[in-house]
Amino acid sequence: MGRNNPIRVLMGKPGLDGHDVGAKVVSMALRDAGMEVIYSGLHSTVDEIVQMAVQEGVDVIGLSILSNAHLPIAKKIISKLKEKGLSDVPVVMGGVIPKGDISLLKEYGIAEVCPFSTPLNKVVEAVSKVAQSKG
Amino acid sequence: MSEQKKNSKQYGFDWGMQVKPVYTPDDLKEISLEKDVGNPGDYPFTRGNFPLMYRSRAPLNRVYSGFLSGEDTNARLRYLFDRGMKTMSIALDLPTQLGLDSDDPRAEDEVGRIGVAIDTLQDMEDAFKGIDLGKVSTNITINALAPILLSMYVATAEKQGVARDQIAIVTQNDILKEFVVRGAWIFPPRPSLRYTVDVIEYCAREIPKASPVSVATGHLRSSGANAAQEIAWGFEIAFAYLQAALDRGMDVDQVASFITFTFHNKLNFFEEAAKYRAARKIWARILKERFGAKDPRSLMLKSFGGGGMEELTMQEPLNNIIRETLVALGAILGGVQGVGLCCYDEAYTIPTPEAQLISLRTFQILMEEAGMGDVADPLGGSYYIEQLTVELEKAALKLMDEIEKAGGIVKAIEEGAIQRLQARGAYERQKQIDSVEKIWVGANKYVSEGEEWDVKLHEYDPTIQVRKVEKLNKVKKERDNAKVEKCLNDLKQAAESGVNIMPSTLEAVKAYATIGEMTKILKSVFGEFKQPAVF
Amino acid sequence: MDLAEQVLMGDEKSAARLISLIERGNKGAYRELIKLLPYTHKTHVIGVTGPAGAGKSTLIGKLALSLCEEGAGVGVVAIDPTSIRSHGALLADRVRMKEVEMAGKAFIRSMADRDHPGGVCPAAAGAVSVISALGKQHIFIESVGAGQSDKAIFYLADTVITVFTPEFGDEIQLLKAGLLEIGDIVIVNKGDKASAEDALLAISEHVVQKGETTWKTPVLLVQAHTGQGIEELLAVIKAREEFLQKDGQGAKSRRDKTIIFMMALLKEEVWSRLAGHFPQDAGISRIIEEVSSDKLDLYSAVDLIAQNIEMKVLSGHQ
Repeated sequence: MGRNNPIRVLMGKPGLDGHDVGAKVVSMALRDAGMEVIYSGLHSTVDEIVQMAVQEGVDVIGLSILSNAHLPIAKKIISKLKEKGLSDVPVVMGGVIPKGDISLLKEYGIAEVCPFSTPLNKVVEAVSKVAQSKG
Repeated sequence: MSEQKKNSKQYGFDWGMQVKPVYTPDDLKEISLEKDVGNPGDYPFTRGNFPLMYRSRAPLNRVYSGFLSGEDTNARLRYLFDRGMKTMSIALDLPTQLGLDSDDPRAEDEVGRIGVAIDTLQDMEDAFKGIDLGKVSTNITINALAPILLSMYVATAEKQGVARDQIAIVTQNDILKEFVVRGAWIFPPRPSLRYTVDVIEYCAREIPKASPVSVATGHLRSSGANAAQEIAWGFEIAFAYLQAALDRGMDVDQVASFITFTFHNKLNFFEEAAKYRAARKIWARILKERFGAKDPRSLMLKSFGGGGMEELTMQEPLNNIIRETLVALGAILGGVQGVGLCCYDEAYTIPTPEAQLISLRTFQILMEEAGMGDVADPLGGSYYIEQLTVELEKAALKLMDEIEKAGGIVKAIEEGAIQRLQARGAYERQKQIDSVEKIWVGANKYVSEGEEWDVKLHEYDPTIQVRKVEKLNKVKKERDNAKVEKCLNDLKQAAESGVNIMPSTLEAVKAYATIGEMTKILKSVFGEFKQPAVF
Repeated sequence: MDLAEQVLMGDEKSAARLISLIERGNKGAYRELIKLLPYTHKTHVIGVTGPAGAGKSTLIGKLALSLCEEGAGVGVVAIDPTSIRSHGALLADRVRMKEVEMAGKAFIRSMADRDHPGGVCPAAAGAVSVISALGKQHIFIESVGAGQSDKAIFYLADTVITVFTPEFGDEIQLLKAGLLEIGDIVIVNKGDKASAEDALLAISEHVVQKGETTWKTPVLLVQAHTGQGIEELLAVIKAREEFLQKDGQGAKSRRDKTIIFMMALLKEEVWSRLAGHFPQDAGISRIIEEVSSDKLDLYSAVDLIAQNIEMKVLSGHQ
């Protein structure tokens, strides 16, 4: 991936939580790392996010969740992606996520977790890494 | 004289002030101690609103509580009252804040998660059972739907036999900042503003002890604004509400004292204390000079100060207790009317009772053990603090002027200009944290790799939605549905005709109409906000 | 089944993949694109241009929703600028099309201009063909919104809607912008009635009625965010569609525009391929050196280099 082939990321805000500063900050960091970032906007449903992922042909889906509903949302999105034949699109999750939930999220099929206070370069790294693995 | 600076570290604040190594009497030369500083209780109230400050009026301590059902929340509130809590601050879940009933598909997984789930008056009654609403003041963080939650509170109080003039209720009711940072909006800005003013007007008439608007400019600060922007944007937002009320024919002295503020503190308590001092001065002067307020209560800025999870670290979470102590200190030394602290575990999730107790104790220790509130404005006269106050005042006034020249805050928010500044501020701040220019002990400096601190966390009960839906169905079955329909119809007519929305909302609430039913009606009249995604 | 067949069967995922491959310059994808071309003639391609903040996305969102509700298939290609510094991009137009997103019936694709001038990206034309082959009768293209230079959309669209706001008041700027010139429909969006009507008047005076066709460019008042005026605009769009179908005018104009857009892409492609070889060419290097040491003026230099290249191309033909 490079200049003519930038990583395309969908930054999603699923659920009712309206705190989108984190999602915006991460979007800006990904942009500054040369990626093309599509922002879903607030209050998106999992179905809407998956539809966007289908149409936008993204390499990675990023989700920002601060409402503590990360576990059920993760389950839903992974199953919806499977249903739409998009299981090869890795999902990276960020937000307020207790350490104890990280392994559980990965079990559900979330590729990487970047909890609150992860440095931006680590987020960029995580997104690049999972995008490469998608190939 | 020959002492060298140890490194090239920059000292100062993100709103532009460079900080000198030491402040001296020279720094007071430009400041008129009489005109700019004065005495506590004297205009422009730089040193505080009252001559005796906390000796005459103890500050309130808000412990933000609410989760699952009304009953669950009631138990938690009683636990805290038993340990010396004196005021309530109610957290609502997201479906309630957005007008979705517990059986709405969009509410799935969110019911009762970050606050108490309220569908009908019944839930409010359960939450406050056995709590005398005539004796306690209550803050409810509700914005887009303030009239509905206010009506529920009034109806609950009336059922307890409390007279309206004894009801002390704060509704946040600050919709403009929701469009910028918090995202709990429903209707577009203009109808939202009308809705906000309806609450002010109603309280002016019926509930004299209410604070119908608490401009939560702290939300802007915690998500990227600096201290000068926090004052400037918060005030511009407040003036938008004030002006909207004046445009409706209300008098400035009827409205101004009803508007309170919730600020957000970071850890440098000198900066934060100066912020409250500068803010009081600006508020007093503008209210007097521009708005022609005469009642001294209109000139006094009523401020709450608190912390937000943005200051906390997930690493070594017990250190957050120290952080919140500093937050509290900045607010108390700044002369606030109340404090609302975060709990140490809130970087993870909503707090456990133990964490809330520590937050309550922090405040009690500061006020009662350490005597931090014994003397009014103890920092007053400090070369540094006075200079800081003046500089912050200048920076805030400059920003206010810029917004006003560009067409005002409502326009700036509608066009996304504030959102853009906000997001960019947050991005810069994060970059500073990542580069350790801004230090977060234990999180970006002195990090202890591999060490885990296990703290007990609040656990969500996923059966809540089923329980809540059952209860909702029961209420719907038992209520007089013909009456509900009539009330909803009246509500619609009130929304369309432009009369004050409160009386018809109160009637609908008393008939046990659900939040979802009422919101749906209002959406059909007001429309829905479309987010202008801006970076 | 190959990608083109999947697209023709209406598979959005394949359409999205094919667009990505076209964006990346994949030659295999071009071969798929050829297979789709016969199926792309029924679509009305509507370009929407205008300065940043004029409300283009909101307007498209409303139009798309109305058309979806009528049962028509709708596609959107929304183009945002690429950051010159990082070559990344933030694509946020889609957020303003939330209603149509929620209706779930439109195909929306966000694209970055990838430093391409003119307010569109080279792959936009391919994206339009792919979305058209999905069976969408109406496709909107939203240009970057950088103002005056946003004119390339003219060559991608059958119809261009130019959107202004009353605040965009300076009449001279308006004329200079040239956006009016390419507009087949001109919209004054936002603003209260009085200010919008003033702007309407100012703009109407300057609307260029194109001599070569009989289409009269209408100027309309719209409040995109409330939906006011959308119905009238839809009626105009439909009238335009009928106009284009009459005597095959639309088809001819599209053929001409496609060739012009192709030539523009060719110009860029040829340049970027040739320029890479300049450092190795002794003659050209010498000319560049002479310009930097004031021995040659830049105009003569351009002429000499062009002659140099021309000769090589011509000799290759003999």
